[in-house]
Amino acid sequence: MHSRRLFLTQSLGAIALNAMDALPHFPAKAKRVIFLTQSGGPSQIELFDHKPGLMKLAGQELPDSVRQGQRVTTMTANQKQLIMPPVAKFLRHGKSGTELGEWLPHLGKVVDDICLVKSMHTDQINHAPAMTQFLTGNQLPGRPSLGAWTSYGLGSVNKNLPDYLVLLSKMQRPSDQPLYDHYWGSGFLPSRYQGVKLRNAKDPVLYLRDPEGLPRPLRRQMLDGLAELNQRRLDETGDPEIATRIRQYEMAYRMQASVPELTDLSNEPDEVFNLYGPDSRRPGSYAANCILARRLAERDVRFIQLFHPDWDHHSRLPSWCTARCRDTDQPSAALVTDLKRRGLLDDTLVVWGGEFGRGVAGQGQWDSIEAGRDHHPRCFTIWMAGAGVKPGLSYGATDDFSFNVAENPVHVRDLHATILQLLGIDHAKFTFRFQGLDFRLTGVEPARVVKGVLS
Amino acid sequence: MGRYLLLLLTALPAHSVDFGREILPLLSDKCISCHGPDPSSRMANLRLDNREAALAVITPGDPAKSKLIARVAPAKPAMLMPPTRSHKAPLTPAEVDLFRRWIAEGANWGQHWAFVKPTRPTPPRPGHPIDAFLNPTYPNPAAPAHTLRRRLAYDLTGLPPTANVPYEQLLDQLLASPHFGERMAMWWLDGARYADSDGFQADDTRTNWPWRDWVAAQFNKNLPFNEFTRQQFAGDLLPNATPETKLATAFHRNHMTNGEGGRHIEESRIDYVLDRTNTTGTVFLGLTLGCAQCHTHKFDPIEHRDYYSFTAFFNSVAEDGAAGRKAKPYLSVDSPYAPRAIAEMENLAAQRRPAEQQARQAAQKPFEAWLKTQPPANYQAWQPLRPHELTSAEGTQFTLEKDATIQSTGPFPRQDDYRLATRIPLPRVTGFQLEVLPSPKLSRNDSGEFLLTDIKFQVRTPGTSQLRDLLIKNAIADYSADKAKNNNYGNIKDTLDDDPRNGWTTLGADNSKPHYARFELSEPLVLGPAEEVLIELRHRSTAGFQNIGRFRLSATADLGPGVQTLGPSPLEQLAAGKPDRARLLDQFLAGHAPYLAARAALDRAQKQLDELKASTKVNVMVLEDLPQPRESHILLRGVWDKKGEVVTPNALPAILPLAPNEPRNRLGLANWLVSPENPLTARVIVNQLWQLMFGEGLVRTPEDFGLQGERPDHPALLDWLAVEFVESGWDVKHMLRLIATSAAYQRDSRASAEQLAQDPANRQFARGARFRLPAWMLRDAALTHAGLLNPAFGGPPVRPYQPEGVWEELFMGRFTYDPSEGPAQYRRTLYAFWRRSIAPTFLFDSAQRRSCEVRTSRTNTPLQALTLLNDETYLEAAQTLAAHPLATIFEKVLHRKPTAPELSTLTKQYNQALTHYKTNPTDAAKLLRSGRAKTNPTPQRAAAMLVASLILNLDEAITHE
Repeated sequence: MHSRRLFLTQSLGAIALNAMDALPHFPAKAKRVIFLTQSGGPSQIELFDHKPGLMKLAGQELPDSVRQGQRVTTMTANQKQLIMPPVAKFLRHGKSGTELGEWLPHLGKVVDDICLVKSMHTDQINHAPAMTQFLTGNQLPGRPSLGAWTSYGLGSVNKNLPDYLVLLSKMQRPSDQPLYDHYWGSGFLPSRYQGVKLRNAKDPVLYLRDPEGLPRPLRRQMLDGLAELNQRRLDETGDPEIATRIRQYEMAYRMQASVPELTDLSNEPDEVFNLYGPDSRRPGSYAANCILARRLAERDVRFIQLFHPDWDHHSRLPSWCTARCRDTDQPSAALVTDLKRRGLLDDTLVVWGGEFGRGVAGQGQWDSIEAGRDHHPRCFTIWMAGAGVKPGLSYGATDDFSFNVAENPVHVRDLHATILQLLGIDHAKFTFRFQGLDFRLTGVEPARVVKGVLS
Repeated sequence: MGRYLLLLLTALPAHSVDFGREILPLLSDKCISCHGPDPSSRMANLRLDNREAALAVITPGDPAKSKLIARVAPAKPAMLMPPTRSHKAPLTPAEVDLFRRWIAEGANWGQHWAFVKPTRPTPPRPGHPIDAFLNPTYPNPAAPAHTLRRRLAYDLTGLPPTANVPYEQLLDQLLASPHFGERMAMWWLDGARYADSDGFQADDTRTNWPWRDWVAAQFNKNLPFNEFTRQQFAGDLLPNATPETKLATAFHRNHMTNGEGGRHIEESRIDYVLDRTNTTGTVFLGLTLGCAQCHTHKFDPIEHRDYYSFTAFFNSVAEDGAAGRKAKPYLSVDSPYAPRAIAEMENLAAQRRPAEQQARQAAQKPFEAWLKTQPPANYQAWQPLRPHELTSAEGTQFTLEKDATIQSTGPFPRQDDYRLATRIPLPRVTGFQLEVLPSPKLSRNDSGEFLLTDIKFQVRTPGTSQLRDLLIKNAIADYSADKAKNNNYGNIKDTLDDDPRNGWTTLGADNSKPHYARFELSEPLVLGPAEEVLIELRHRSTAGFQNIGRFRLSATADLGPGVQTLGPSPLEQLAAGKPDRARLLDQFLAGHAPYLAARAALDRAQKQLDELKASTKVNVMVLEDLPQPRESHILLRGVWDKKGEVVTPNALPAILPLAPNEPRNRLGLANWLVSPENPLTARVIVNQLWQLMFGEGLVRTPEDFGLQGERPDHPALLDWLAVEFVESGWDVKHMLRLIATSAAYQRDSRASAEQLAQDPANRQFARGARFRLPAWMLRDAALTHAGLLNPAFGGPPVRPYQPEGVWEELFMGRFTYDPSEGPAQYRRTLYAFWRRSIAPTFLFDSAQRRSCEVRTSRTNTPLQALTLLNDETYLEAAQTLAAHPLATIFEKVLHRKPTAPELSTLTKQYNQALTHYKTNPTDAAKLLRSGRAKTNPTPQRAAAMLVASLILNLDEAITHE
């Protein structure tokens, strides 16, 4: 009898080891994430990774010893790889003395609150595969996104809003890189973990609005009638799904109030709009979405993801790259300031970055103002701020050409492991069984938590 | 806990250990990923996937001497296998005990069940063979007749039943219905990852839909499944190949394609080739072949080389990896189903044409009246604007002159945005005008040339901090430089797109003369009291220093040619005594609502008619091999340009060697797949057929029959069905009929608390299957209940209602979505246009159609509730149903009469709503308008519509019971 009891406890223990309710694996530094996705590949050479030495090498061919057979896209495969020095000037900011390109004046003001990671690298050189890898850990669509993994692992805090919300900037120009919904998809996880798009439209969430002529009290009565009949069916059939369904209709009803309350910025004071910049007064803009991101953080939404497209400056850096900086610089910096002064930065992780960087060689005539830069996977810069991240730090370094990582490389999967770590999740243990395999966000290649950026 | 109970049962030492059922899954789960077929991940040079190698750590008959036992239950924790770093849970004592007993009994080895060819087992009891194998202890009785009718109709046609006939007769009718093929096609399309667009980058539209119709037609014809397979794999290689069998091969071209600029097309081509292998693995073999793309499969006996030998079958297709309209090889198809769709839309346009003519006629009288009231002698269409705020982003200063001209002064920065705020001296605004004036040239720079990259118009309302964008429909200018000659700068329209790499310049014209541009608003603007317009002129050119020097802004209230053309407006001409009647009529009609409505309705139908006419002959992506096959290689770590050893086409030897007389091409592969000797295909397909009828397969991992997949709940039944399938001549309808006639299928789905506790997943089939119907069936059902469904078969894709703007916001306007007009709106969901980057919004839990999917996802979320409550299709269905008495609506949707308490709840609901709508008749009109009512709005109809919506949302209404 004694041994039988021992057997029982041990068996149950072994089963519990695999159970999801063991999350978080350790105390979390970050309760939530705001991921500011910059789609298209912002140029680290103009914005973050200052290489003054390139001035002397202007127009020279990139040495093979640096290039080491790196592929470029077929857009520049047939042209010489001639070095184009940074088009933007760099300025020092803050106590940390961090250098930033002149096109990011506002970020300069919060530079002591953020941590630049200059040694990011990835495997893909084309947008869709690279962005898919950046957000799901694999270049092929079908894996859950970082946000879906987070929602699956940690669940919700706010019972009136989805755990994972996605906001796209409203642009006037057709984008060459559409934002596929698999970027926030749930892959093989149940679809309830996928990101819910918060739209700048009459219906911020699809189908949220009741039809005209159906006032709220009448909807309430109708749902009461529906619940009454569904409850009757539950009693007859015993199917627990019906109980869930009744609860989901109630949550839908609550969302009809909580979402418009969330997206209504009319109570935000002028001072807030001034902080986030003039574009924040335009609904759907990246700047307005940054204000929404703060409101979502205040409401304890677990994973908040913004997307800003069109960073793909293959030409005309002075007009193209600056245009995207104008859209995003002030609001991104304002978000950090705003979270900080409200005490939210302590447990909110902010991440800013795109799927890859840009090459040191000019695309087109390197000495023409028309020139741009092609995609580059071997190094790029992102920044992080908030919960558990060392402020005022520049982590990692590239070589003199901003071409290869020279110090402390951080692969995309290392970034994923680090974000999960901050959320209290051990990436190696966080798995989901699909097609007979235990899948992880960080995949099968070794991934490491970047301890150097953790405070 | 269920698993734990099983473990307890297996711990009873009454029977001898079954290797395949008890040991192999454990080895696979705990050991084989490091001690299996893949040499790259093999540790300690130990294999546990075959007996010979495993004898290194197993002494048959003597567990104590077997190192395996010493490691899975070691004395020292450091010796533990699987090791802690593998993150695999250690073996439970029961599992260790199982290993011990298995070794004590001689460590017998065997093959994984699914890799052994099924033989027909003898049913253990007489009667229906399915029921002979399934013999639950306490089976439910048969479900009520109406439930059975619903269950059968949804399962076999995806539609609710329409005839009240006996079960057997209904079964015959449903299998003979053309809707049967449509339902089966919806299943097949998910596995085939069918869609109407490429998926990547621009997500171009493709026209493979004739293949979708081919699939539905084959299921209706009951083409034997082996032939169905052969045609899809090798319809071009068959000895009696026809255009139709060639069309079948589009199955293997339904993968996503990537036309991203800068992408190597060979990389894309390799992706497509691998996708075909992986799809074949999932759909036909239930194997996760993709796992062997980078290295030998970690669990199943598929070596890295096997994977690429298999892939070699698909490697010689005459494709080059290009996407969009260059995705050859194509088959040009005249769809037999296109003319019907064209005739239908032609008919609609023909109905709307006289309406437009009548509206134009009817407008004559008010036009004449309008002419008489217009305009004062000194009429001026464009009213100058005098901004009260004039600022700039980078420091330019301004002086506002008497005639509202604005002169820039002070600093001349490289780039600058001019920001103006102005009130409008007009009751409404239809457009703005920008005059660029010389002083003495158009810019203060040396060249005198200006370059405006973008212009923005917004409305500011006092008391709110947010701005409202004004949408501009069109822009025209008296002169635009040639874009092609000026680094993409020139066109006035490019000032509307937020892109600083293009914009307006008059370079090439005399820059000492004024120029002007006009911007037409998408809809006339009426400003509220104290509202003002903000105008931003952006000068953000690449070269810089091209800011406008002197300018003036004005606004107009004129419509049509008054704002759409240059020069004097029709009213100015009239005032000047030179009337142009045609232009005046155009201006009048542009503001005449009854005419505009008739015109817009006609335009929409005409546009869709033109679109349909273009689809009579379409290109379908098909298979066709190169005259000289490509050389195939193992790709090291699966990387497209890291070529290893050369391989030649071969099937998977561990599953079934390819017969020597088979050709080494896709036809040989197809023959191998449907060979009666193949242990997998028939099992995998009958499992999917079972899943169509029961919501879950007998193997609950339909995509994985390998070592890591779930084992079948009833292996003998699965084998019996697989053999029956083959021996029936791969007869799909026969198999479905067989399932439908079993008692297991027909059981009541109600579950007692005891049943739920003992068998929550219904693995014993003591009760019928109860699950929420797929979203596409719900839409088709709602249309059917309301009598709206257009049952036509096949043809070009249609566009069901979607909320406004869902395509536009993803593509920033590249694609717009116009819902189908007229009867085309009410077609079955099978025909709904499927854009990969954004699947139809009204579907939930659907396959993503990006890669092959055979398992259905079933979640229960608030977003689904919102869809069923508020989607236009369901509102229109509710509104249409509202013409009937409550009890009739209930019966139409649920196929039974309401009980007295149910009817009383519905009546109470109706009365509550009626009270509201009687007091608020405008609400009634609004609600009915959301339901697209064409009849007079009455409070009764609105109240009934709300109750109908409630009924459509009942759990019973959306559930397979």
